[in-house]
Order: sequence, then structure tokens, then C-alpha cells
Amino acid sequence: MAPPSGLHQSAIPSDFEAGPFPPLVRSSTVPASLQTHRADPSHLAPEDAFAPFSPPRRSGLFDVGGGNGSGNEMQRQRRVRRSKEDGSRSRSNRRKRFQKLLWVKQSYPDNYTDQATFLENLQRNPRVQPYDFWPLVADSTVIVQHVCSVIIFIVCFVGIFQERVSPVSVVGWGSCATFLGWLLWDFWVEQETQGAAVDGGGPIRRERSVSCGRRGYREREREPPPPRRQDSSHLGLPTPHNASTASFSSTSNLPSAASSSTNLLQDHSQQRSFAAAGSYVTTGNGNSTSNLLIPGHAHSRSVSSVHSVASQTSAARAGSVVETEEEFRHRTTQPPQGRGRAFLRLEAIKSAVLIYFTLLGLSPILKSLTRSTSSDSIWAMSFWLLAINIFFFDYSGSWGPGIHKFPVGALSTNAALMASTVLASRLPSTGQVFSLTLFSIEVFGLFPVFRRVARLRSWRYHVILTVLLVMGAGGGVGMVLGEQRGWRSWKNGLLGIVVGCLISALAMGGCSWWLIGLQKYKNEIYGPWDPARPIIISRRHWDE
Amino acid sequence: MAPAYNIAMVCDFFFPQPGGIESHIYQLSTKLIDRGHKVIIITHAYEGRTGVRYLTNGLKVYHVPFMVIYRSATFPAVLSFFPIFRNIVLRERIDIVHGHASLSSLCHEAILHARTMGLRTVYTDHSLFGFADAASILANKLLKFSLSDVDHVICVSHTCKENTVLRASLDPLMVSVIPNAVVAENFKPLSGPATSSISAGAGGQSFGHHHGPPPARQLGPHDTITIVVISRLFYNKGTDLLTAAIPRILENHPNTRFIIAGSGPKSIDLEQMIEQNVLQDRVEMLGPIRHEEVRDVMVRGHIYLHPSLTEAFGTVIVEAASCGLYVVCTQVGGIPEVLPSHMTVFAKPEEDDLVAATGKAIAALRANKVRTELFHEQVKNMYSWTNVALRTERVYNGISGAISEAEFYSYDAASAVAAASWTANRGRSGVQSFALIDRLKRYYGCGIWAGKLFCLVVIVDYLLFLFLELWYPRDKIDICPDWPRKKVKQQQQQQRKES
Repeated sequence: MAPPSGLHQSAIPSDFEAGPFPPLVRSSTVPASLQTHRADPSHLAPEDAFAPFSPPRRSGLFDVGGGNGSGNEMQRQRRVRRSKEDGSRSRSNRRKRFQKLLWVKQSYPDNYTDQATFLENLQRNPRVQPYDFWPLVADSTVIVQHVCSVIIFIVCFVGIFQERVSPVSVVGWGSCATFLGWLLWDFWVEQETQGAAVDGGGPIRRERSVSCGRRGYREREREPPPPRRQDSSHLGLPTPHNASTASFSSTSNLPSAASSSTNLLQDHSQQRSFAAAGSYVTTGNGNSTSNLLIPGHAHSRSVSSVHSVASQTSAARAGSVVETEEEFRHRTTQPPQGRGRAFLRLEAIKSAVLIYFTLLGLSPILKSLTRSTSSDSIWAMSFWLLAINIFFFDYSGSWGPGIHKFPVGALSTNAALMASTVLASRLPSTGQVFSLTLFSIEVFGLFPVFRRVARLRSWRYHVILTVLLVMGAGGGVGMVLGEQRGWRSWKNGLLGIVVGCLISALAMGGCSWWLIGLQKYKNEIYGPWDPARPIIISRRHWDE
Repeated sequence: MAPAYNIAMVCDFFFPQPGGIESHIYQLSTKLIDRGHKVIIITHAYEGRTGVRYLTNGLKVYHVPFMVIYRSATFPAVLSFFPIFRNIVLRERIDIVHGHASLSSLCHEAILHARTMGLRTVYTDHSLFGFADAASILANKLLKFSLSDVDHVICVSHTCKENTVLRASLDPLMVSVIPNAVVAENFKPLSGPATSSISAGAGGQSFGHHHGPPPARQLGPHDTITIVVISRLFYNKGTDLLTAAIPRILENHPNTRFIIAGSGPKSIDLEQMIEQNVLQDRVEMLGPIRHEEVRDVMVRGHIYLHPSLTEAFGTVIVEAASCGLYVVCTQVGGIPEVLPSHMTVFAKPEEDDLVAATGKAIAALRANKVRTELFHEQVKNMYSWTNVALRTERVYNGISGAISEAEFYSYDAASAVAAASWTANRGRSGVQSFALIDRLKRYYGCGIWAGKLFCLVVIVDYLLFLFLELWYPRDKIDICPDWPRKKVKQQQQQQRKES
């Protein structure tokens, strides 16, 4: 039998005892009162480590002195006993205080758990920011907007499918709204440009983070339009529009091909520099239909022009992309702003017309695309695709590069376009197919861009848009669900609006409240075992 | 006195693979054999190492054929290990199954099967885990599963104990802290202490100073101070901090140079830093070195810099101190517990603080305030594998009932009343009950869904055990002859009495 303290009796060199360790507040012999233990809620008490079932918890060790006198009594007895034990050995062999050190030979067994120091460095939820109710509700409007626009799309499809609504009116109103939105966009852009001109014409300084701030927006506007540059450098090529048309035709033709064109759309947002900015300009100025197409288009053009510039100047430049950008910007600042804008408008209208006719030509093919598939499969498939669209939509509202490693936005847009393609293939006539496809491009391709800009622009626009969307979705659902036609359907629509507003308000409030309520289950544990986060200052000196 | 046990160490990681856990198992096993126990090691088959092998000292190694999936950890097929494990355990008449390392699935399976077979189990944790990321959550759940029904747990530092207690929801009293150790003979400083340590080995430690203290290594104000870094160059070893700190340290202190040994993904960063600051003549990168060469590299320096971001124990700083190096290390994980403050300068894991701490260490060395030549003897007294084996033996005694429960868990008479209800759960003398229903109770507490799943696994395991008993009865299994046991124990006890 080797008594535990006997193991550690070997003489400790006096050198070791003189460590500058702060004296511990309590030793184990002092009764640990529960109150002081719980004084600091951020520290776990040892009893917190127990699971309720396993391993069997032993009371009496940690609950000693839990308020009543018996605990103290037990403690006293324990001390008496201990002193008796020690008395059998030399007096100098008194128990030293427990130290949380490995190199000290301590007179405690290895499984001794010191109540004063055990888990003293544990922190719970040190970095939790509590949510506030109203900001949460405000943030949830983004999701509501998107869900509502998806619902509106579905309602339009159902209306066309049941032949309640004429497809021409749907696409006509949609296009009108898109055109208005584009005008508004253009107006805002104009304003921003003027504001930037007033701000001062210093050298254009590009921030690395093109996040959603106004400044980033303005810079984007200040950026001279790249297509100009492209046309001059690529005059010899066959019209790039042909290429874009081809890519678009495949978009509408096969759902899988849709990814290719929209991936371009996504790609350009990942391009950090001027190319992205240029394409955004195009996006803004582009007419409804052209928007989807142009960005990728502009992007590829600008990239190719970068390459040409780089190759031209490769002797002088060290191949650094930044420098190439610089070069490129200098060259493209030459065309005056007004001319560039007019050119962009023209470009956008041209693209819109192109898409219009391409879709018109493709509609007969689309109509018979899924004829051999049963309708049930199409409903299920489009449901899942729209669900993917909603869940993977990029709600972040920022335009920065490298926000997502995985291009969620592209997945979302692709899913929506595929859904609209398969849904459109259920429709009986070419005109209906054409209308629905065009409408889906407007709703899923362009409308999110407009919503985002509106949100950045002004909070009021955002709220108005949200309310309009909720009312539209609610009313649409009400009208579609009701069997009646004529004025009764309007009554249903009104009812739908009321119910829709109620539901959305309840959902927004309820979910926010729920999320806040769930915060009390948050239990992050931090302690000395977590990998430290190194703080490195001079990194930027040699990292760039 | 205490009985001799038949112990099976189970771990995925063992020689020929190099590493800290591997050498821990080997050293502990040999020292336990020296104390008269019988130890076998069960690991998976390595390339060129299959079947049963004997190592020095009669240490028997079973290389079980298993599929290796990731970094020589085997595929966690929960039940497939049972037949061969049962066979080995019965052949070798094992009493105690001792698993190592939380990432070794072989270890966890062995603990589960051993409990089903009614054996005592001990688990040693060598590493720290966080609670935040998904991988850790999964790993912690599995650890909770296998540690729900274990007799005792050993951790290598107090921080590691806290971590394990939280991760697996253990009773802190069933977790012992037994540090790693170093073989001090392998980490001697260059000169002086070589002779004195031999004499200390022969004539007892108190006579180590018979020749007087070893001559102090005097450093002139212009002598070059060499800073040694030996670590795998990974993010969690703090290589980023090192890369940032080296140019500043070299700038502040003219007569210093670095020796960096080790390899890893971050070595490119280091090389870039060297080239950008034109430090080729002051920073020497040795690349990967073998464990035997560590000492030879260490003794070339004066300061050992250890910028790690997480560390359960940090054996390497003990080795460095044993080589007579002044240690500068980050204050993370279990590192602050390992060495006394006169051997170390602690820094926060920040670039500025690391530079400042290194500066402090250099200044202290230049002022000849630090008696690094004494470090070796001191470290030798602090950490030895014999001591580790002694303390592990106490754990074995405790779980197998050789030490009374009250003594093992340091009960007092007063709390015995409260403990009475608890003992009912534990069965006899501080040992958890093997009854299936009691085991299921423990597993059931693992979680709402996980608890039920774990119970299912345990029941299937038990059924498999019954099936194996029928299919391959115990009396059909040969008992293998034991390696002659050592009789060193009594000598050691006599020595203890004398001292």
C-alpha cells in the first residue's frame, strides 16, 4: 500500500519553492461556501461538470458547507481527522496548499480536485452580443421581400396556367415595372455621380472593401465604363453580342446551361477590381432584360481588355495585376462621362431587344421541353428548386468580393431560372411560355439587384417596397385561391392582402422574438485549452 | 503489497511511427514492467510491422490488421474489433485495459469491449479540444460515449483535466493528472553536468553536488546568443507569431541568431521572411530532424523559443530545459504548469509580447542571472518515467480495489455517509458496476438521441459478446506463457525506506 502522500515526500529543493506564484485565495481546508463560489457567474463551479446521469454524482464533496451548520461540522471533523493523520508523521509535513503545477511534488493525490482553482479560467459566453428586437425585425424584411417576390411569381404562373390572367398583361406590367425601376436606378446613378463630382475630383482611390457603403457605390459610379474600351480594342472580332446571344439561348434552352450564363454573373462579382465595377455600371444602366446578360458579358470584355493592355505593356510592367488596373484606368478615363452613359443606355436597350427576340425564338422549343415528364414531377421539382432559391439567396446586401467562398448567389439564381423553365414548359401556348420566361428573368435576375440598390439607397424605399411586395403577394394568393371570378375575386384579393400582411407581421415579429428567446440556450465555453488567437501586428508589412 | 497486473495498452499510434504519444506509451510500459507488471500493447498493423512482436524488456506488441483512414487512425468500425480483442485479452489474461489518445478509435473501441467483458479500464488523454467547431462537437460526443463507462481517466496536465472533464462530463475525482516525463539521460547539456549526472546516478542524488555545482556558462556582452526553435511548422504551433517576431528580435539584439528545425506548411512563410529581411546568415533552417537529433540541435543554443498556440503538456520545453536552455514560451494550454518560473519567460500569444519576452530572456542571459547549467539536474528531479509509472500504478490499484475507495478518492469519515448512496451505484470498493443495466444507465445520460443510440450500441456489443462466448468458448483459447516478471519492486521499496 503506497499512501498517496508518501509518493511525494521526496524533498523539494528550496529553489523550487520560491516561485513567484500568487498566493491562492483559498486552500481546500477552508470551507467553500456556495455563495462565494457562485459570485462570479462566468466561472463554472466544479459541480457544473457533472452530467445528470453519468457518471454517478457524488454529493457531499462539493456541497460541503452548503449553508447549513452540518456542512461546517463535517468540515471540522475532516480537519480533525486530517490533523490526526498528519500527526502520525512529522509536524513539518503539513499539507501545503495545492498548486496547479506539474513540476511541484505535491502532497495531494493525483486525482485531487481543488475547488478554488479548478476551472477558474473558464469563461462562458464572453463574446456574445445580444440581439435587439427591432433591428432583427428590420433585417428580416430582406427575407420577406424575397419570399414575396417568389410567391408573386408563382401566383403569376398559376394565373397564366389557369388562364385567368393574360400572359401578355403579366409580362407587360412586369416589363413596365422593370423599365421604371431602371429609370429610377439611372436617376440615382446620375445623382450619385453629380454628388461625387461635387465632392471633389481628386485621384480615384479604390478601397479594397467594396462593401455596401455609399462610398463604394459612388466609386462604382465614378468608374469609367469599360465597354467603350472594349469596343476600341476588339473591333476586329465578330460582334461579341453574338456570343452573348448564343450563351443566352442555351440558358433558356436547357436548364443546366443556365448556370453558365449566370455563373458569369456571379464571376464578375468575385472579380475584385474595376471589371466588377464596370459590369455593375452596365447592370444598372441596362434595361430590364439586358441586365442578366450584360454583366458577364461586360466582365469578359473588360478582362480581355486587361489582358491586351497587359500584353502591350508587359515589357514595362512586372505583371502585377494592380498596376495593370492602374494602367487600364488611365486609359479609360478618357471618354467623357456623358457619352459613356448614353452609350451604356444604348447598349442596354440593344441587349434587351436581343434577349427579347431570342426568347421569342426559343419559346416553341421550350414549350415541348418536358412533354414526356408528368406534371407531378414538374410541380415537385419546381417546388424544390424554388426552395433552393429561397434558402441559398444572397441576403447579405453587400457587394464585396470574397464574401462567400461558395457562390451561393449563383446557385440560387440558377435554381430559380431552372424552376421557371420547367414551369414554363407546362404551358400550352408559345406566347405563354415566352411571357413566363421573360417574367422570371425580370423577377429573379433583375429585381434582386434593384431591391438591393433601393435598400442601400434609402431605408424608406426599402420599407415601401416591402409593404408593396407583401400586399401584392397576399392579394395574389387570395385571388388565385378563390374560385370566383370578376368582382368577387377582388374581394378575395383584399382578404388576401389583409391576411398576408398579418402573417408576415406575425412571422417577422415571431421569428425575431423566437430567436431572441433561443439566446438563453447559448452556452459557449472558452478556456485555456482553446487555441490562442495570435495577435500579429507587423504582418501587413511583409504580407502585401 | 499491491498486486501485479496484466495490462493492455491500446492505441492506434505506436512505433514505428514517431511521436509524443508513442514514446509515452513505450516509456510507461517499460517502467511498469520494471515494477513487476505485465504489459502488452495493442495497435494496428503498420507497413512492415504485422503480427506479434517483442520489444526490449519483454514488451509484447500486437499489430492488429486494420484499415487506416486518416493519419494512422483506424476506421471506427465499432464492433469489428471485438473478436480479436477478446482473443488477445483472454490469451494474455488481461486485468486492465489502458487506452491512449482521443483520436484513436481503437482505444475507444477497446474501452467499450473491455467493459463488456468485465475488465477495468483506464484512459489517458493527451490533447486539448475546443468546444466551438463542428468537428470538436462530434469528437466530444464520441469521447463522452466511450468515457461514460470508464473506471479512471488520466490527463497530462491540469488544463487537460479541466478540458476532459468538461468534454466528457466526468466526475473530476475520477480524473488524475499525471504529467509526461522525459528521459533526462537523453537530454544532457553539452559539458559540465555530464560527469556529475553519472555520479548522481551511482551515489544518489544528494551527492550530485559533491563536485560542486557545474561551472556556470559565462556569457560575455558580445557573445552570440543562439535561439533554438524546434517544432512542426503548423498554424497551431504559432509559426505565424514566430515569422513576425524573428525580424524584430534580430533587429533589437545584434548578437543573436536563430536555429529553426522542423518542417510543415508554414515553412514557406519563414523562408520568405528570411529572404525579405535578408537574414540568411542569422537564421538557420535545418528542415525536419529526427527525435534522436533534437538534443544535438538544442545544445547548440542558449534560449529555446516555443510560440505554440495550444499545447496540452509541451514535452519539448521540458526537453529544452533539460538541455540547459532558457525557455521562452507562450502562456497557453498546460504550458504554464510545466516548468518553474526561473526556467521560463512567459509571453502572451502576441507578437509584441513575444518580442519583449525574448528580449527579457536575452538580457537575463547576458547579465548571467540565469543558472542554466543547473537546469538539467532540476528537471531530472521533476520528471521521470519511473515516477509516472508509480503514479499510474496507484490508479490501477485504485480502480481494482487494492486501495480502498475512501483512500483513492480521498474520502473522509464525515462524508462517508453521503457517499453511501453513491457506493450503491458503484458496486464494490469504488469500482463501477459491470451490470449491463447500470452501464446502460450511464450511457443513457449522454444525450436525448445520442443516449439511446449509445445504449443500442452497447446492447449489440453485449449480444456479440454472448455470441462469441458460445462460438469461441474461453476454454478453447490458449493461455500464452508470460515473460518472466521482474523482481525489482522490493529493491525499490527498500530504497524508498532508506531515503
